[in-house]
Amino acid sequence: MKKINNLYKIVFALIFLVILNACTTDDLDPALKQNKDSETGIVSVDNLYALIKGAYSRMTNSEYYGRDYIVTNEVRTDNCFSNGNSGRFTTQAGFTYSANTGYIWDNCYSVISSANLIINTDLNSLEGDLDEGNHIKGQAYAIRALAHFDLLKTYGQQHVGGNLGVPYITQFLSSTSSEEELYRSRNTIEEVKNFILSDLGTAYDLMSVSSNKEFFSKYAAKALESRVALYFEMWGEAKAAAEIVINSGKYSIIPKDNYISSWESNQNVNSIFELAFSATDNQGINGLAYIYRTDNGVGSYGDVSALPNVATLYEEGDVRADILGYDTNRRGNTYLVNIGKYPDNQGYDNIPLIRYEEVILNYAEALFETGGDALTQLNLITSNRGATAYTSVTKDDILNERRKELIFEGFRFDDLVRTGKDIEKIELEQNFLNTIPYGDYRLAWPIPQSEMDANSNMEQNTGY
Amino acid sequence: MKTKFNGILTLILALLVQFTFAQEKTISGTVSDESGPLPGVNVIVKGTSNGTQTDFDGNYTIKANTGDILVFSYVGMTTVEKAIGASNTINALLSSSNILEEVVIMGYGSQKKTELTGSTVQIKSDEIAQVPVASVDQVLQGKVAGLVFSGNSGTPGSTTDIRIRGISSITAGNEPLYVIDGVPMNNSNISATTSGSSLSALSSINSNNIESITVLKDASATAAYGARGANGVIVITTKTGKEGKTSFNFTSSYGFSNDATDGPDVLTGQERMELAYEAVYNTYGPIYNLANVEEAGEFYDMYLGEEYAAWREAGSPEADWDKRIKNNDAPVQEYNISATGGNEDSNFYAAFGYFKQEATVIGSEFERYTGNLNFNKNLTEKLKFSTLNSASYTYQDGLLEASSYFSSPRTVKYFMPPIEQPYNEDGTLNLNTTLPNPLWIAEEDIDDSKYTRIISNNSLEWETPIENLKFTTRANIDYIVYNYKRYRNPISGDGSSSNGYGWQAHNSNTTYVFQNSLDYTLQLNDSHKFDFKVLQEYQTNRDYYLEADADNFSDVGLTNLNTAGNPTTANSTYYDWHVASYMGTIHYAGFDSKYILDATYRREGNSRFGSDNRWGNFWSVGAAWNMHKENFLQNADFLTNLKLRASYGKTGNANISLNRYQSLLNFDADYAGEGASYPGTFGNKDLTWETSNTLDLGIDFGLFDNRISGSLAYFNRKSKDLLLDVPLSQTTGIPDSNGSIYQTKNIGEMENKGFEMEINFDIVRSEDFNLSLGGNLATNKNEVTKLAKDLNGEEINITTSTRRVESGHPVYGWYMPTWAGVDPDTGNETWYIDGKGSETTSNFNEANQVWQGESALPKLTAGLNLHVDFKGFFVDANAYYSGGNKVYEDWARYTNGTDVYSVVYYQGVDALLDRWQQPGDEGTRYGKFEYTGRPWMSHSKFLYDGDYIRLKNVTFGYDFNNEMMDTIGLDGLRVFVRGTNLYTWVKDDNLKYDPEVDATGFTSLTTPPVKSIIFGINVKF
Repeated sequence: MKKINNLYKIVFALIFLVILNACTTDDLDPALKQNKDSETGIVSVDNLYALIKGAYSRMTNSEYYGRDYIVTNEVRTDNCFSNGNSGRFTTQAGFTYSANTGYIWDNCYSVISSANLIINTDLNSLEGDLDEGNHIKGQAYAIRALAHFDLLKTYGQQHVGGNLGVPYITQFLSSTSSEEELYRSRNTIEEVKNFILSDLGTAYDLMSVSSNKEFFSKYAAKALESRVALYFEMWGEAKAAAEIVINSGKYSIIPKDNYISSWESNQNVNSIFELAFSATDNQGINGLAYIYRTDNGVGSYGDVSALPNVATLYEEGDVRADILGYDTNRRGNTYLVNIGKYPDNQGYDNIPLIRYEEVILNYAEALFETGGDALTQLNLITSNRGATAYTSVTKDDILNERRKELIFEGFRFDDLVRTGKDIEKIELEQNFLNTIPYGDYRLAWPIPQSEMDANSNMEQNTGY
Repeated sequence: MKTKFNGILTLILALLVQFTFAQEKTISGTVSDESGPLPGVNVIVKGTSNGTQTDFDGNYTIKANTGDILVFSYVGMTTVEKAIGASNTINALLSSSNILEEVVIMGYGSQKKTELTGSTVQIKSDEIAQVPVASVDQVLQGKVAGLVFSGNSGTPGSTTDIRIRGISSITAGNEPLYVIDGVPMNNSNISATTSGSSLSALSSINSNNIESITVLKDASATAAYGARGANGVIVITTKTGKEGKTSFNFTSSYGFSNDATDGPDVLTGQERMELAYEAVYNTYGPIYNLANVEEAGEFYDMYLGEEYAAWREAGSPEADWDKRIKNNDAPVQEYNISATGGNEDSNFYAAFGYFKQEATVIGSEFERYTGNLNFNKNLTEKLKFSTLNSASYTYQDGLLEASSYFSSPRTVKYFMPPIEQPYNEDGTLNLNTTLPNPLWIAEEDIDDSKYTRIISNNSLEWETPIENLKFTTRANIDYIVYNYKRYRNPISGDGSSSNGYGWQAHNSNTTYVFQNSLDYTLQLNDSHKFDFKVLQEYQTNRDYYLEADADNFSDVGLTNLNTAGNPTTANSTYYDWHVASYMGTIHYAGFDSKYILDATYRREGNSRFGSDNRWGNFWSVGAAWNMHKENFLQNADFLTNLKLRASYGKTGNANISLNRYQSLLNFDADYAGEGASYPGTFGNKDLTWETSNTLDLGIDFGLFDNRISGSLAYFNRKSKDLLLDVPLSQTTGIPDSNGSIYQTKNIGEMENKGFEMEINFDIVRSEDFNLSLGGNLATNKNEVTKLAKDLNGEEINITTSTRRVESGHPVYGWYMPTWAGVDPDTGNETWYIDGKGSETTSNFNEANQVWQGESALPKLTAGLNLHVDFKGFFVDANAYYSGGNKVYEDWARYTNGTDVYSVVYYQGVDALLDRWQQPGDEGTRYGKFEYTGRPWMSHSKFLYDGDYIRLKNVTFGYDFNNEMMDTIGLDGLRVFVRGTNLYTWVKDDNLKYDPEVDATGFTSLTTPPVKSIIFGINVKF
């Protein structure tokens, strides 16, 4: 009897113990104070607006437009080299990258992921202004096109004798996506090109005209279309797209006297689309300015200098020569450098991605190729720069003017390869030893090893 | 400051001890052993000559004071001490001293060593105290078979990588669980910065207050912590009060430390210049018709750089950066005072400690104040109250030392050109060096961590009216306040381009643990004893973080953010996690502990997993057979102890970052002056526990009265459903904060197996002279057995330029092109295209990565301990061996480059002198120097054998004997001198950096472990 009595007590004590501090599964829910669940977190157009800013923010990453994408396309040309002051960009400048050298692959696809999340959202399910929603969606299409275009130019085989492009992603990929969606193989160059042009068309249709140049807008999509068409030698399309931008009358070439100072201010008359940077939102030591100059040895990296031939690029009186300057690093070596573009050493300046001058140059080249009046367009540039007007035009004149106008902005490499030129070894300072002939495997970057490891559907470029 | 604290402490002690004073009274009682009353037992009042003996019936009477301690001793029996309380009757039960009833503390409880079924190693306070260390885990190295220890830096307070029985997880954590006084604790790196010194949460614990550390290795031993015990458990128990008059213990030590290893030597300015000119000659000689190196030098001075010409002009001064940044004979000091005392009803342990260590590099130190008060009180006869409290304040003046930051003083030797001088001719610091001058940085820049930790562990133990049923409830609070301050001066260094930079971070982290448990002992008859335990535990952690940074400081020397003109970041976060568990154990000991059975079950829920997969079930079974108690071995007199044991069980691991199971939008971005959001976590609703099934087989033995004792064990740990960050195609586009794109999944399997041996020889055992030699040895073989597959059925591997994870190989095995030497004709470095024996190439990109056969994880570790004492003199020594692994020399592109990196931009090691110079030079380690910058090329030339032996400690001391003590009125006095890391042997001649690298296996540019000589004194009174 006593034993049974004890048993009751034990059982009672046990129940008491469990009740005292019992925990259920729900008690173990973690707090979510900085995040929202992505399935339930998008309920209004305002949420879409936050997401599109997130996409732009990803574009400002130093591995993409914040630095690397622009600089890599300068140091592999006759414009710039890496002096190795901090050991940066010698690999890119020497064309010695491998599948383990990081670049924009992951950054572009993360921008695309943000864009797709917006594009895949049904506007009718959201609260808020539908027109605003469409404008945001249009921006997402434009961003998706731009990121894929940059991927294609970098990893596509158009200059190495292949026909593979990059995977064109149109779905937001998540843990509910199918295996086929998660392990993508490469689209052909042609497919990617068509997707890009289609997205830009949709973007143009959806977006409204906006004066805020820190965001994509209707004519920015057209301006980008002229760049894409030019790259693929679709002269008619390039000409038509450029004309739409020009005829909008919303932009003008920056006048000669404002050329240098325009780099110190944002949203100038010539800007069509630029990425926003500020005192509180910048890439700091990993930014563009920090790599372009040492600020006379004060402390920035300053690896990327101009090649000596750049000093002879501009004639007397050409205001663009003032972009150049000399910088002495602490080792006592003096280099010709970019001091005028992205002038703030802390990286507080906006980075223009599409300028009206580029559209004019695109237009001039498209006119030249289609038998139009390229001379007038080209002289719109020279007349605003204090340079001698052309009396006749060759293709090389146009490319040379592009080089002068767009130097340090990341255009040169594409302009060389899209016109079938070699990357010539012209100076001692260049980090590669011999001319890289057109068609060399190094003109296409390797797909990252981490992608190759994760996805057996991915095909590596030849040579890596 | 210190003196003042001591004063306060003494006052508190005085208050606590005053109730122990009482009048003399007469005590009587009976002394017996298992078979009945014991005559002739010596009974003495401790610390006096007052004594008597028991009579023929085992009875005694003696006069003594309340608070005195009676000591009962008898030949062949263990000595028993009893404190005198209110009662006038004190009985004592003596047991035979042959039976070593060592008790091992297991965390939630303790177990007699003979009744253990699992693999454990317990380290006692005498091995822990008197080792002046900033972080207590440092005493474990070499003491525990199968525990691989690697400090991340010699900076005092830094974290340590501890791996028990290998690695179970590929991308989740492999750190063991720490349990302090029965409560699972957080003991990771708490430093707010990843670029500066790490700071271990354990550095708040004063090793002098530790009674014991137990390392639990197998499933049976760790089963009570099953859900988080897969990587082993380290149980730390702090000292509690002892009955008797208040006694004091004072220890003080002072010593000096230096770097244990010097690292590679670097080129002198002269050598560097010659190599630079040689590079120009090799590259431009043919093009510009340079006839020899001298002409190449002239060419360099004229066209490429003026620095060497200027240096010669200045008289070719050698900078010796290495010597400039050292803090030679850095002092380390420690003072501890503790007091303990009590009576039958209550006792206390109180302690105060101060520890200070300067780093062996300029501008870095560590300081700690600790205070402890542990108090036990019997509230009633059945109700015991216990409170264990510790508070500490830790200050770490750290430095930039991860990676190869240019302004780190540890980087300067390997990166700063030796032709640049620390000082100007007028004696001022030279601030025009190409890299920041570390002498200036150490003075002006700030990297400070301030860390306060308060732990309060309170429990009530109730002996319920039901016989043998005990109820315990415990509440523990662990409160951490952490503060980090970084400042970069505006004049020179990392802050110069922004006119100064400041960053401060504040973190408060609180962990609450509530436990309720019931213990019930059932003694069926003399032959069968069952111990039951059920326990319920709830743990919750709240973490609040606040940081801000700013630049453009108004004035030099003002370092707080208040004086900065441009605030750049303000950030705060809140995270929490929760764990709930239920546990039950049954322990059976049958026939005088001849047969032991253990069974444990734990169910645990963790907030890191989705609501459908939150709970995991873990269990273990263990059995032991004390063979020496069997009749058939009764005549084997040589056999003192022989136990066979086996255990098997399932343990878990949830050591991943928070909220990985959810698909989340992040909001920490901004654009154009407004907040922005982006998809930040891929998510996986199915995420749940990683589990390990561990088999452990062992033999414990003791021969010839335990003169030879030891154990042998075999373990096999199969981990499955690994919490693996499976790389996703990057087209999915959701990177984590480090830019990695993956989904955390339960996939993959891994195996660790090995043998462990511990053995101890008591070679001489006598009153005046003792000599013992002990050692431990452990092997481990790690293999990944299964990984995730993609839709084509191809395994998803993780490959870096040096390492790879693939099934059939050790985790993160070294995987890189194999170096094939220097071509004697051309001077080009060559590599095998497909590993050793295949065709060679001088084009690095053609050389494929191949397995190098080893990983960073040692395959064999061993420890050796020696103890000698002779008439009060004693020597203790222990050494540690680790090997069978390989380590990779990081930063070889810079420091070992045969190009501009080593001789124009930065600095090279002097090994570079062994280079190819002309056709026919054979067997050189380096190829020809060229005036170019080569990309990162990781290959086997820089992969070295990791084997090393380190003489961890040698202590020589003297214990003054009792007679001398009596005359000066002390209870004990010990003086000692201790040497730490006095000698290091490294197998591979090319491995010049310290061989004790972190768990990833890369050498680092951090402070190496320290070599120190410490003098100490320990007084008991």
